[in-house]
Amino acid sequence: MNSYPIRKILLYGLLFLIAIGMIFPIFWMLLLSLKEYPEKYQTFQELLFSNFTLKNFVDALQSDSFDIYFLNSLFVATLVTAGNLLFCTLVAYAFARKEFIGKTVLFATLLGVMIIPPHVIMIPLYRMMVGYGWINSYYSLVLPWLVTPFGIFLMRQYIMTIPREIEDAARIDGAGFWYIIFRIIMPLSKPMLTVLAIYTFLSNWNSFLFPYLFTNTEKFRTLPVGLAFYLGKQSIDWGHLMAGAAISAFPIIVIFIIFQRQIIKGLTSGALKE
Amino acid sequence: MLNHRVRDNANTLTLLMPWIIVLAVFWLYPLFYAIYISLTDYKTLTNTATFVGLANYENLFGDSVFWVALQNTAIFTLGTVPVTTAIALILASILNNKLIRFKEFFRASYFLPTVTSLVVISLIFTNLYARDGYINNILSMFGMPFPERGWLLDTSTALLSIMAMDVWISIGYYMILFLAGMQTISEDLYDSAKLNGASPVQQFFYITLPLIKPTLLFVLVINTIKSFQVFIEIFVMTKGGPLDSTTTLVYLVFVNAFEKTDMMGYASAIAFVLFFILLVFSYLQIKFLKVRD
Repeated sequence: MNSYPIRKILLYGLLFLIAIGMIFPIFWMLLLSLKEYPEKYQTFQELLFSNFTLKNFVDALQSDSFDIYFLNSLFVATLVTAGNLLFCTLVAYAFARKEFIGKTVLFATLLGVMIIPPHVIMIPLYRMMVGYGWINSYYSLVLPWLVTPFGIFLMRQYIMTIPREIEDAARIDGAGFWYIIFRIIMPLSKPMLTVLAIYTFLSNWNSFLFPYLFTNTEKFRTLPVGLAFYLGKQSIDWGHLMAGAAISAFPIIVIFIIFQRQIIKGLTSGALKE
Repeated sequence: MLNHRVRDNANTLTLLMPWIIVLAVFWLYPLFYAIYISLTDYKTLTNTATFVGLANYENLFGDSVFWVALQNTAIFTLGTVPVTTAIALILASILNNKLIRFKEFFRASYFLPTVTSLVVISLIFTNLYARDGYINNILSMFGMPFPERGWLLDTSTALLSIMAMDVWISIGYYMILFLAGMQTISEDLYDSAKLNGASPVQQFFYITLPLIKPTLLFVLVINTIKSFQVFIEIFVMTKGGPLDSTTTLVYLVFVNAFEKTDMMGYASAIAFVLFFILLVFSYLQIKFLKVRD
C-alpha cells in the first residue's frame, strides 16, 4: 500500500470523513444544548460562534423534571443490572453444572423465549400491570427484567469454560454448595460479569417501549420516555430538548469510552439491540 | 449420601427459581394471554372480552392500512439491510488490514451510534431533517432542491429519511460483527496472496468474502429481524405520518393497542402475523448459528 500515496490519502480521507459523519449528530446535539434558543440562528457560523451557556442544562434539570427522569433511569438500570448479575449467574450455574429433571426442556424454552418479539407480549404485559396496579410503579419497571434469558445464556456459556477441577478440589476441602457459587464461580466469572453488567445497564438506560407503556406521570418516567414526551409539546425549545438528550447520552458515552472492549463483547455475543 | 443428594436437588431448584418465576409470569403467561386476546373482541372500557375466533385475522386482509404498513416495513427492510451490510462489510475489511493506523479511533467513532439511545438519535435527526434544519440549510446554500416542509413531513421523503438514519445507526454494529468474524481468518492466507500479487480488492473477493460467509448470513438474518420491528424511530419522528407513509407493522400494533379504543384484539392479531414472519427468519438464524459454532 505504501507504493500508492494517493490511494492511501484517499482511503484515510474516506475513513476520517465517515468518522466525522458518525460523530457529527452527537456534536450537533451538544452544540444546540449549549446555546440559548438555538433555533433563532440562521447559519451554522452564527450558531457556532454565539455565546455558550449552561442555562439549558440548569432549566432542563430544574423546571423540566429531567432531574427526576435521570434519577429514575439510574435507579431502574442499577437495580436491574444488580438483579441480572446475581440471578443470571445462579440460573446459569444450574444449567452449566447440575443435572435435574426437565433440564433439556427448560433450556430449550430459554432459547425459545429469546425470539419472542417485545411487541407480541407488550399488550398482555400492559394489561397485567394495569391489573396488578403497577402502572406508575417501580415494580413494573424492574421485576420483569431482573433475570433475562440472554444473561443466563451468556453466563452459562462462560461458566462451562471454567474447569470443573477447581470446584472438585474446593469440595474435597469441605466447600459447600453456596460457598462454591459465591466464592469460586462468581470471582472466576468476573470478566463475563463485567460484560453482562455493562450490557444490561446500557440496554436498560436506553430502554423506551416498556417504561413508556408502564408510566404516565412524571414521577416515574425515565429519560428516554421524558424526552419523547418533551418532543410532543406544542412548541419545542430545542436548547432544552438537546440538553435533556445530552443528559441521557452523556453517561453512556463516558461508559463507552471506558469500557469499549466489554461493550463490544456483550453486543457481539448478544446480537441484540433494543 | 442420599440426604446430601436431596439437599443438592433442593439447592438446584433454589438456583432455578428466579428464572422459573419470571419465565412463567412475564414470558409464557403473556404469550398465551396474547394469543387469547388476538381471538377476542376486547372492550377497553368495560374490560370484557368476547371470543370471536379468527375474525381479527380475517379483518386484516381487508384493511388497507395493514397492507400499507406491511409494504412500508418491507421497503424499510429491503432498503436498509443490503446497504448497511455492504458498507459494514467494506469498512470491516479495510479496518481488518493490519497496516491501517488510528484503528481504535475509527472503530470507536463508527460504533458510537450503536450505544446511543434510539430516542436521542431520533430527536437529533428530527432537528436535522426539519424545514429550517441544518440539512435543508446546506442544500439551499448550494442551490440544491430540498423538501420545503422538511424531510419528515413530505410523503416522498419521510420513510427514506428514516431509512438513511437507520443505516447510519447500524453500520458500526455490523462492522464489529464482521471484524469479529474476520479475526478467525488466518493472516497467512493474506500474506501468501500478497506474495502472489493479489490486489486488496482481489484479496477481498477471493479470501475474505468466502470465509466470512457464515457471519454474512448471520448478519443478514438478524438485521432483517431487527428491521422488521422498527418502531422507536417512527414513534418519535413521524408517528406513522404523513398519510401513513411511515406506518410500519409494529407501529400499527402500537396505535391499535394503545391509542385507539377496543382494538387490542386486532392489534394482537397484527402482532402475531408479524411474529410468524419473524419466526421464519429466526428458524434460519438458529440454523446459521449451528453452522457458525
